[in-house]
Amino acid sequence: MAANSMSDPRRPNKVLRYKPPPSECNPALDDPTPDYMNLLGMIFSMCGLMLKLKWCAWVAVYCSFISFANSRSSEDTKQMMSSFMLSISAVVMSYLQNPQPMTPPW
Amino acid sequence: MKGFHTFCVVLLVFGSLSEAKFDDFEDEEDLVEYDDNDFAEFEDVMEDSVTQSPQRVITTEDDEEETTVELEGQDENQEEDFEDADTQDGDTESEPYDDEEFEGYEDKPDTSSSKNKDPITIVDVPAHLQNSWESYYLEILMVTGLLAYIMNYIIGKNKNSRLAQAWFNTHRELLESNFTLVGDDGTNKEATSTGKLNQENEHIYNLWCSGRVCCEGMLIQLRFLKRQDLLNVLARMMRPVSDQVQIKVTMNDEDMDTYVFAVGTRKALVRLQKEMQDLSEFCSDKPKSGSKYGLPDSLAILSEMGEVTEGMMDTKMVHFLTHYADKIESVHFSDQFSGPKIMQEEGQPLKLPDTKRTLLFTFNVPGSGNTYPKDMEALLPLMNMVIYSIDKAKKFRLNREGKQKADKNRARVEENFLKLTHVQRQEAAQSRREEKKRAEKERIMNEEDPEKQRRLEEAALRREQKKLEKKQMKMKQIKVKAM
Repeated sequence: MAANSMSDPRRPNKVLRYKPPPSECNPALDDPTPDYMNLLGMIFSMCGLMLKLKWCAWVAVYCSFISFANSRSSEDTKQMMSSFMLSISAVVMSYLQNPQPMTPPW
Repeated sequence: MKGFHTFCVVLLVFGSLSEAKFDDFEDEEDLVEYDDNDFAEFEDVMEDSVTQSPQRVITTEDDEEETTVELEGQDENQEEDFEDADTQDGDTESEPYDDEEFEGYEDKPDTSSSKNKDPITIVDVPAHLQNSWESYYLEILMVTGLLAYIMNYIIGKNKNSRLAQAWFNTHRELLESNFTLVGDDGTNKEATSTGKLNQENEHIYNLWCSGRVCCEGMLIQLRFLKRQDLLNVLARMMRPVSDQVQIKVTMNDEDMDTYVFAVGTRKALVRLQKEMQDLSEFCSDKPKSGSKYGLPDSLAILSEMGEVTEGMMDTKMVHFLTHYADKIESVHFSDQFSGPKIMQEEGQPLKLPDTKRTLLFTFNVPGSGNTYPKDMEALLPLMNMVIYSIDKAKKFRLNREGKQKADKNRARVEENFLKLTHVQRQEAAQSRREEKKRAEKERIMNEEDPEKQRRLEEAALRREQKKLEKKQMKMKQIKVKAM
């Protein structure tokens, strides 16, 4: 028995199931990048749509891509998709209203 | 009539002056033509003065384009002009001179360089009015940037996945020989090993192992770099960072004694001491150098008491720490582990956070960012160190003195905490009592029957009086005792 316990440390009767860590302690540790990028993306899309600024719309597209790349798998895909769609619609609308190419600010 | 004559004289003078400029003028014989007309000479002169202008600038304005056509090369033009003038002669000889006839013509000084140039220069159309692809260069740039981002996302994701798989393949055997359950995501009904990692993110992979002596379970977290995010990749070019493997072993209460201990790089320990609740409370001294125990200079030690350090730093542990010092970020053993300090808005939390006996290990993957799957094999000895530490934590017991010290420390910490929160707890109790009173008053007010109301009010009053009496009694007793 002693030899057995020395050679095999496994104890099938002491198995505990995995519990995902509670979310209250996590927000401090969690990376806030996807949330910030999501918010920025929405703000830029609205600016691009309202003020008809093409560069705002393009920045919004970039922001939503970055947010998607940094997102956690537990996060809602609906949120991601909605920010994507909003930014792409901002780009499309700016070009429909004014098909001229974008002018650099310098 | 007289005025007209003076005007003609002025013109004549002007014409002669301008004629003086152009000596190489060839068609002078044309000038000498006179008609029978009274004003013939003046007409010629007038034509002279007009045609001797070296250049004529005709500006036509279109809606969209502005083209400037300059007529240069006075010789050819003058010839033409004179021909025109001749034909015009016939037409206009009977008419009086008209001031406004030549309004559109402007005199401009001739520049010799312009004599041999191509007469027409067309100004460029502004970019935003063109209809070619080249004018959309910014858009093409943006789309290219997006495509680059997507490419990097796919490549980064795949690399992280390959690294995780390589790590698991290397460590699978060791884990399976030590734990019954290797790999669990908590969703299955039965506790069977999934035999694979949980992907939390594109750069974080988890593995839960359980079913061993001494410990409840072990959670391994592979925290890779964000290779899927191009911004992160570019930021890492400035500041190289390593992939990390974090291991958290939760011990059974009976299998670990009461102590707090940490060893690791100085920078990591300083950060942990600030962030972690237990390290900041129990290990108040600065991290000490580990050279006293045979460790390299890069490693430092944080300990609750010297006895713990002595006990922990046995030969095998020192051997592990020395050989793999470059891969070790921190090793933290604690019976009071409750995670990082929680910052709450309303000041201190009202009760102590739950603690668990834990062993924490943080290892850096070699390569400093440029990691390859084969580098994962270098981490296998570190896993051996983890297993050894689990067994050691079970075996290591403090002696009587150590235990007393440890118990005193824990009692001290708890007392401090209670003192800090005493005011808050009092306030909380006070507010609870007030809440109760208010609820009762509400009840009395809402009572429709006036009789019942009166009775309830009397009951409340009696209760108040009783409480007051009780308090007075207590005060009297304390006074007697004091005396």
